Amino acid sequence: MIPQRHEIRQAGVENAVLAIENLSITYGKGSEAVHAVRGVTLSIAPGEAYGLIGESGSGKSTVAFSCMGHVAGGEIETGSIKLKGENLLRLSPAGWQSVRGNRVAMVYQDPMNALNPAFKLGAQVAEALIRHRNMTRKDALARAVELFRQVRLPDPENLAQRYPHQISGGQQQRVVIAMAIACEAELLIMDEPTTGLDITTEAHILDLIADLRKRLGMAILFISHNLRVVAQVCDRVGVLYAGQMVEEGPASEVLRRARHPYTMGLNNSLLPIDGAVKRLNPIPGSLPDLRNVPGGCIFAARCAYATPQCKDAVPAIQVVGSRHVSRCIFNEILPLAERAAETRKRFGPEESVPPQLSVVDLDFSYARPSLALPFLNRKEQSKALDRVTLAIRPGETLGIVGESGSGKSTLARCIAGLRAPTGGSVRMEGQRLEPLAGQRSRDARKRVQIVFQNPDSALNPMRTVGEIVSRPIGLYGNASGPEVAKRTAELLEMVNLSERYLTRFPRELSGGEKQRVNIARALAADPDIIICDEPTSALDISVQAAVLNTLIDLRAKRGVAYIFITHDLGVVRYIADRVAVMYSGSVLETGPVREVFANPGHAYTEMLLSAMPRGERHARHAPEEIVSRARPVQGQGCPFADRCLRYLGQECDAVTPPLRLGRNGHMVSCHIPLRT
Amino acid sequence: MTTVATNATDRPLARVSRTARAMLRPAELYLLFLVLLIVAGPWVAPFSAYDFNASASLLGPSWVHPFGTDEFGRDILSRVLVGARPTLLPAFAAATLGIAAGTVTGLVCGLFGGRVDELIMRSMDILLSFPALILAMLIVTMMGSSIVNLVLAMSLIFWPRSARLIRSAALEIGKREFIEACRARGESLGFILFREMLPNLRSVVIIDLALRSSYAILLSASLAYLGMGAQTPTPAWGLMVKEGQQFIQFAPWLTVFPCLVVAVIATGTVLIGESVRQRFAISTRLAR
Amino acid sequence: MPLWLLITRRIAVMVISLFFVALLTFLIVNVLPGDVATAILGDTATPDQVAALRGSLGLDQPVLLRFMKWFFDLLQGDFGTSLTFNRPVGPMIAGRLLNSATLALICMIVVIPVSILFGAIAAVKQGSLLDRAITGLTTFLFGMPEYVLALGAMLIFAIWLQWLPGAAMINPGESLFLHLDTLVLPVLVISLGGATYIIQMTRASMIDVLASPYVRTALLKGIPRWQVILKHALPNAMLPTLVEIGLSFGALLGGLVIIETIFNFAGIGQLMVMAVQSRDVPVLQACVLVIAAAYSLGSLLADIASMLLNPKLRN
Repeated sequence: MIPQRHEIRQAGVENAVLAIENLSITYGKGSEAVHAVRGVTLSIAPGEAYGLIGESGSGKSTVAFSCMGHVAGGEIETGSIKLKGENLLRLSPAGWQSVRGNRVAMVYQDPMNALNPAFKLGAQVAEALIRHRNMTRKDALARAVELFRQVRLPDPENLAQRYPHQISGGQQQRVVIAMAIACEAELLIMDEPTTGLDITTEAHILDLIADLRKRLGMAILFISHNLRVVAQVCDRVGVLYAGQMVEEGPASEVLRRARHPYTMGLNNSLLPIDGAVKRLNPIPGSLPDLRNVPGGCIFAARCAYATPQCKDAVPAIQVVGSRHVSRCIFNEILPLAERAAETRKRFGPEESVPPQLSVVDLDFSYARPSLALPFLNRKEQSKALDRVTLAIRPGETLGIVGESGSGKSTLARCIAGLRAPTGGSVRMEGQRLEPLAGQRSRDARKRVQIVFQNPDSALNPMRTVGEIVSRPIGLYGNASGPEVAKRTAELLEMVNLSERYLTRFPRELSGGEKQRVNIARALAADPDIIICDEPTSALDISVQAAVLNTLIDLRAKRGVAYIFITHDLGVVRYIADRVAVMYSGSVLETGPVREVFANPGHAYTEMLLSAMPRGERHARHAPEEIVSRARPVQGQGCPFADRCLRYLGQECDAVTPPLRLGRNGHMVSCHIPLRT
Repeated sequence: MTTVATNATDRPLARVSRTARAMLRPAELYLLFLVLLIVAGPWVAPFSAYDFNASASLLGPSWVHPFGTDEFGRDILSRVLVGARPTLLPAFAAATLGIAAGTVTGLVCGLFGGRVDELIMRSMDILLSFPALILAMLIVTMMGSSIVNLVLAMSLIFWPRSARLIRSAALEIGKREFIEACRARGESLGFILFREMLPNLRSVVIIDLALRSSYAILLSASLAYLGMGAQTPTPAWGLMVKEGQQFIQFAPWLTVFPCLVVAVIATGTVLIGESVRQRFAISTRLAR
Repeated sequence: MPLWLLITRRIAVMVISLFFVALLTFLIVNVLPGDVATAILGDTATPDQVAALRGSLGLDQPVLLRFMKWFFDLLQGDFGTSLTFNRPVGPMIAGRLLNSATLALICMIVVIPVSILFGAIAAVKQGSLLDRAITGLTTFLFGMPEYVLALGAMLIFAIWLQWLPGAAMINPGESLFLHLDTLVLPVLVISLGGATYIIQMTRASMIDVLASPYVRTALLKGIPRWQVILKHALPNAMLPTLVEIGLSFGALLGGLVIIETIFNFAGIGQLMVMAVQSRDVPVLQACVLVIAAAYSLGSLLADIASMLLNPKLRN
């Protein structure tokens, strides 16, 4: 019944562009050695795009860099990496130099740091051409400009003379891509090429990659933690867990009919595309210690379907479908992924319910007048918030969504009293609150709490979980010692942490656990409203799902309202009742989530929605790119005018757009009337 | 990429206290040696450091006088042993005083930021526009050569340098979200400064103390050599070098042995400070 | 902000800070406990003598008035009159300043390229025997007071080996280049002291740069390692190092005081020590100001150089 190894091999391995066989990589020595990659085998056919997915710590980047001969601090213990049949691991340093950038090229995560800050962009691209194609400097620079045009960079001639810091993140990634395709490499490795980019930028980069594939037909190894992005770009995907390949198959198969419990868990952690409010089903537990890997199936400890049999031996690879393999011995009896029932109906308080907290005409601008030499200091003012008006009703979840620089975090800080707005006010039940938390009444501070984005820096490393969580109880309540201890334990239980955590320090917790402590601390004040500032953006998707579940449970139990700030539209659609879309310090559109997502009124919202990854090949077409129109006057008219697809003309540049009202409190700030 | 790699770069300041204890072991031993030298030096000295002995003038190193004798017949070894106090004590006192002032200044700057920070740091910059030795010389000359004035002058040297280091660490911690959480809760200033921030700065202060002490010994020895601070006949090491220098042609031991002792002690302290610093990867520039 | 504005700003900052340096110098001399008259006469002077001297120095006038007078004289190049030589301080300083500046310049010219080279090599070969030798030696030298190095060098090269003169008997104003051999030991000692710092700084910033993603990018472009080091890493590592060189100039100037005294070199540092010993307050004050100004100028030049090299400030 169990198929032999040779049967599993896909047809065409012989002429594969890249064939990795039984690759094992270890960091460190002796008992501290971390077995980061263990026996990974994969092959990529000519013209094929292969996606490698896994959460942090899965070893996916290590695999990628080993194909470039760059395993810093690690050691390749066994295996081979063959490029068109030639074993790269046998290459001399000089041999590697002729492969790198020439036959195998790479696109990196974090393009800002991948480019040399002291070099002009054209020269950085030309360098590889001079080296590998024996071009003269002049020809290479001309070719670089040509490549910039190919990756659709605006004004390529001019851009070649600029430095990395002078262009945007998306443009930097295009330069890195231009660098990678310069020598028409046989294999392109992309290591999380869109992670950290804004969603619209990501959509454009993915479009560009698809386009280049069509034109140049190179093979691609695409590394990502985002299943939907991978499914959109790749033909086949492999799923890495703790350094081991657990499943491999056609992208759509793996995403829809996963045959390994880990992949199923990942899929169940994904936020539903259709906007259904069904409960997520995350993977319990955490990654095993890679210094001391348990025998048997590596996932058994976290697997809902595991039996003692699973711990006997490392499961062999099983064929589960056409070109689809899994490392689970029970793959045949695994149920198809299905979600639990709906968690709750969308909460839509009546329009007549008065808001609990409102923000009226809030302005915030950064101005830094310097003490020394005011005469030589140009006052650089920038508006982070521009007349923001929002309201949140009791028990409601208001999602605030926007890309980087939209001012959403500044808004959170103004509401929490951490920044003093330069204009406008924050009101609690109609009463104006003092700008800074220190000036507000104890009651007002107690009622609004905040959960921060970065779980690491939000907890004092020198304090125990117990101290952290109990502090607000002591500060706001009049509880006695034993009562405080009891409340603290209750709070931890509420966020699914056991009492054992009371004496632990933050460094002993995982990212998800830290975020739970953060939530518990906010709850400890017994607030009416919790501001969540990107609480899940630093977490892996399975951890994100668990934290979202906790937040939803708390909402049901405590009736607390959330102001949920995020860049991820999927999260907003999943958790929020109403949404506000921010761009460049202004709210462009607000309304009930269903309404806004079904019938977006603003061109920007539409752009964001169409940029959301859907997990299907060719499903997404990034909206047409607008090479920013010059704005006649900064700070006037519609903030989105220079990128708008529905740009009307001078009106948009000069006149502040009116507020258009739709159904159920749907509001859009645009010159074009709402369609109803 | 791997869990281990991320842990290593994770929250460096959080991990400091635990590693600090392990790291400080050689430093503690060395410190013990210095304390012994300071406390017991005069007891173990075989001869008087002050009494003249005309019959033993300018004797070369021998079993009786391992480091030789000076022009007044005083035993150099004894003088070196007795001289540990007037050399090292002002150095440690100045380092401690300067760092105490620097820590308070740095904390205040780091927490308040803005104009307070700018005003204080600009004033510190003015103190920093003098080369250390020059400013110390000027102050000691004008206030009069005494140990107390020497200590004051040296701590004035260390104050701005220490303030800059602590400030940058405090700024880094002040930016962390747990401090924002304190502000949002409406915690008092004292709580934020001393209960939340200071514990996180403890390790930085320890490192600062280690590095600053080594520089303090250098500075103290250099100033003594220039005749600042301790005066004849006190056997401060720098002063001994200065006085012995005129005999360098025919009685080099007068110079060589005090020089060697200064070099050994100062280098030892630098090594300890460096190893502590490297362990915590604090930029060398900030530390000086 | 445009580059020229940044540079103008930096120069303005220096000018303003020089004013405060002058003010602070003046305050230390005039306001700190222990007054000028006592400092000049020494602790053994009688109250009558002190009072008489205070009167002749004009110390009975208000501090602010005295500062204004002193400062405006300073602006016109008048540093006052030496108490021991009874001559204007300005010309006394000028010749010695030239000597010291020449010495410092020679040292910088020797030190900078050599230190950068050694620092870069140590970083590239991080962890190797060579790296450990270089870092070990620099740490060792760093812990040495200048006079220990100077006396050691004098003892070995001038007294025992008798290769070089142990003292530079140059008259102020006489050309240094007639006595090149006398310069060797001072330059050697100062350079050893200065090099340690710059080597450590270069090594540290080079190690940071070598670990950066853009160096990885260059390597993975297939560029040979030595070329990556020279073209991609070194220029980026130089930016922070330049600022450090400016700062290390302060230590060098401090060291000059001791080295010049030991080698009897007629420079500003020696003059300062002489002024301290003879309690010649106007000369001391002038020396402190000139040295502080030189230090400010050094860090100004280093900062401007790093601004010019920084692509982030270019348009």
